[in-house]
Amino acid sequence: MVILAELKNKLTEEFSEDIYKRAEKSNELYLEVNPDKIVEICTYINIEQGYPLISMFANDEQSFCDKYAVYYVFADRERGVLLIIKTLVDPQEMKIRSITEKVHAAALYEREINDLFGIVPTGHPNPKRLVFHSNWPKEEFPLRKEFDLKQKLDFAQEEINFQKVTGEGVYEIPVGPVHAGIIEPGHFRFSVAGEPVINLEAQLYYVHKGIEKMCEGQSIEKCLYVSERISGDETFANSLAYCEAIEKIAEVQISYRAKYTRVVFAELERLTSHLGDLGGLCLDAAYGFATFQFRMMRGWAYGIADELCGMRFLRSVNKLGGVRKDFVEGKEAKLIAELKKIKTELDDTVKIIKAKSMFIDRVENTGILQNKIASDLNAVGPAGRASGLYFDVRKTFPYEAYDKLEFDIPKHYNGDISCRMNTKIEECFQAIELMIQALETMPDGKIFVPLNCVKPYRFAFGLTEAPRGENIHWVMTGKNNTIFRYKIRTPSFCNWPALCHAVKGNIVPDFPLINKSFNLSYAGNDL
Amino acid sequence: MRNLLYIVIQLLVIVMVAPLLNGIIKKIKAFSQKRKGAPIFQMYFDLYKLSRKSSVVSDVSSWIFKVTPYIVFATAVAAALLVPVSSLIAPEQIPGDFIMLVSILALGRFFIMITALDTASTFGGMGSSREAMISSLIEPSILVSLFTMGLVTKSTSLLPMMNVMKGIGFPLAHPGCITIFLALFTIIIAESSRIPVDDPATHLELTMVHEAMILEYSGRHLALMEYGAAIKQLTLITLLVNILIPHDQLIAITGIGAVVLSLTIYLIKVIGISIIIAIAEVSTVKFKLFSIPNLAAMSFILAFLGFLQYFVLGGCYVLF
Repeated sequence: MVILAELKNKLTEEFSEDIYKRAEKSNELYLEVNPDKIVEICTYINIEQGYPLISMFANDEQSFCDKYAVYYVFADRERGVLLIIKTLVDPQEMKIRSITEKVHAAALYEREINDLFGIVPTGHPNPKRLVFHSNWPKEEFPLRKEFDLKQKLDFAQEEINFQKVTGEGVYEIPVGPVHAGIIEPGHFRFSVAGEPVINLEAQLYYVHKGIEKMCEGQSIEKCLYVSERISGDETFANSLAYCEAIEKIAEVQISYRAKYTRVVFAELERLTSHLGDLGGLCLDAAYGFATFQFRMMRGWAYGIADELCGMRFLRSVNKLGGVRKDFVEGKEAKLIAELKKIKTELDDTVKIIKAKSMFIDRVENTGILQNKIASDLNAVGPAGRASGLYFDVRKTFPYEAYDKLEFDIPKHYNGDISCRMNTKIEECFQAIELMIQALETMPDGKIFVPLNCVKPYRFAFGLTEAPRGENIHWVMTGKNNTIFRYKIRTPSFCNWPALCHAVKGNIVPDFPLINKSFNLSYAGNDL
Repeated sequence: MRNLLYIVIQLLVIVMVAPLLNGIIKKIKAFSQKRKGAPIFQMYFDLYKLSRKSSVVSDVSSWIFKVTPYIVFATAVAAALLVPVSSLIAPEQIPGDFIMLVSILALGRFFIMITALDTASTFGGMGSSREAMISSLIEPSILVSLFTMGLVTKSTSLLPMMNVMKGIGFPLAHPGCITIFLALFTIIIAESSRIPVDDPATHLELTMVHEAMILEYSGRHLALMEYGAAIKQLTLITLLVNILIPHDQLIAITGIGAVVLSLTIYLIKVIGISIIIAIAEVSTVKFKLFSIPNLAAMSFILAFLGFLQYFVLGGCYVLF
């Protein structure tokens, strides 16, 4: 790979003495570096080279190298290359230098690592606990291998501190964690002066389930079921990312028929998810007609899913090495007709809502996520594409059959609700087109390739574009076909801080609308 | 005797019909969304259900919390008594005028606003401050509209007003009355917490106005609050239809038959207005909170135009 070599040379020039080990695998470049130089190296990669930090995680590698490891994942989105910086942490010290001051996207990852591994990021500007709040004892770190899952922990009691905004007439509005309607739990602390919001702090992780810990030591087949249950409405994107990672480790090439089938399901999930979001957005603006139009179309799309695989939420479709059944065989013509029906209806509805000046007045210039903030926080998916970050995993890191299919990425710049809404509308049309294309050009062949036992301590990334954006799974296998470490980074994790920034300066009654335009997952974030 | 009969018939009609309007509006909205919707009598069932449930009262709240539902209901009923549903059943004189009507409604609103603050919950205060903003913007418009009608009819009392308008025949043929009609219609939309000012169906506390204030109520208390709101809505609609679309002059017969006929026509008019409200709700989207003053300003301008026409044109009102 020319690109990898080029990248490696650049880094070697700058930091020749601090890079200990190198490894290359297809499009992933792993560099093990000196922990004392981590800030400089990350700053160089992120700021001078302009590669965003897309994930960061730790791993307890005491069983084979007596140390903890911290991985910093940077992406070159133009050329489809992942650059992974690894540093080792001494179990006696358990400290890393925080890179948050320079690389802002690292803020939440470092707090997460601090909570789950007890590796303290020294110099972090806001080292508040993230994953565990008030009730978890401070000296228990579940992702360390010696942590026993079966033990009963004491119930700690601690007060949660929120950022205080003071001044005349400034007061706080606590909202949640229990909300009206069927919504997942999350606490929002608004600091407001009258109606305008000065600051918003989101306290999430009320539904932390310990998925990453639970998967460790389980067989790779069993973890597929877990990956399908990470977040209810991103079932397929998550299981696909997991399958991708395992298939890379096992070095199998799945058949084209399976790849095309996966594209159909992935796009179907995107369509249902976006139609649901659009319906929700209209509902929050009290636009009843449009709400029920979108809900009806989503119903039709769920009908298609039900007809294809007997499961509206697309569980048990993926299998390691392909798909479980030849789901589309003989249903192509009917599916295409159904999709065209949705397309016509969507077209009409969009024309009506775009002509509704009162509605457009609500969504335009409300909840602006500035391009600079979006890129600093690595906002992904439709939220990023509405703010001028035009990347899509389907284009930058093509997986399955996306490099064989034609589609465009919607491009918007203003970053307001209207841009996010239009991005989603355009993606709905693209998803329908992609499904029709995939159905029409689907090659014949087997639907799955059996997997052999995977070798221990191999690792790989699985990247997919979930409806909400870039979805990154990193898997390291253990002995006997098990999982050693499974790191999940869903798009919601990146976009929650972006939402908090987009709300600032808007008025309180516009928050639900802004929130709905992002429509982030709590379960997918809390893990 | 006549007074007693008036009170009985007036209360029966207003109290019985008020929840029906909400049912009709909800039904029409459901049709616009390709749904069947709840039965139009649903609100009666809901009120019955709520009235049998006990009420949960926060132990940090004061007597204001417990007293408010009764005050709200009582003020709504008292206001309803000032606006006769038909001039045929009305006694010679009804004490009180439209200034009293507006004040009685304001009293109920005042108590809702302070009770929302009383429990110190997150959303109550927000609802109160928004309600205070909206009502203070809407009230001048109500008063200007009604004063104009008072100038035209040379009375501030609602019964003489109705009788004079009856004499005009079809007031909506006059431009001044049309603007007053539109101003009052906008006021009804705002006062009964409908889209585009407020969304009665929302579950989002952060966007609520009226609902945020009664969020802490349950059981019997909630039933009274909702019933009070429905009666207030019907009272305002009655005010609109009976002054600007009078119908009693059309009735040629006398006796019991005339009263029944008059009430039937009244019902048809009220249902007609609620259908228009439903259409207005369906065809609009909720405003940004800070755009509501524009709507209030529009309503005030319409009212003021009607007021000016009395002096400038004069002619259209000087029919009698």
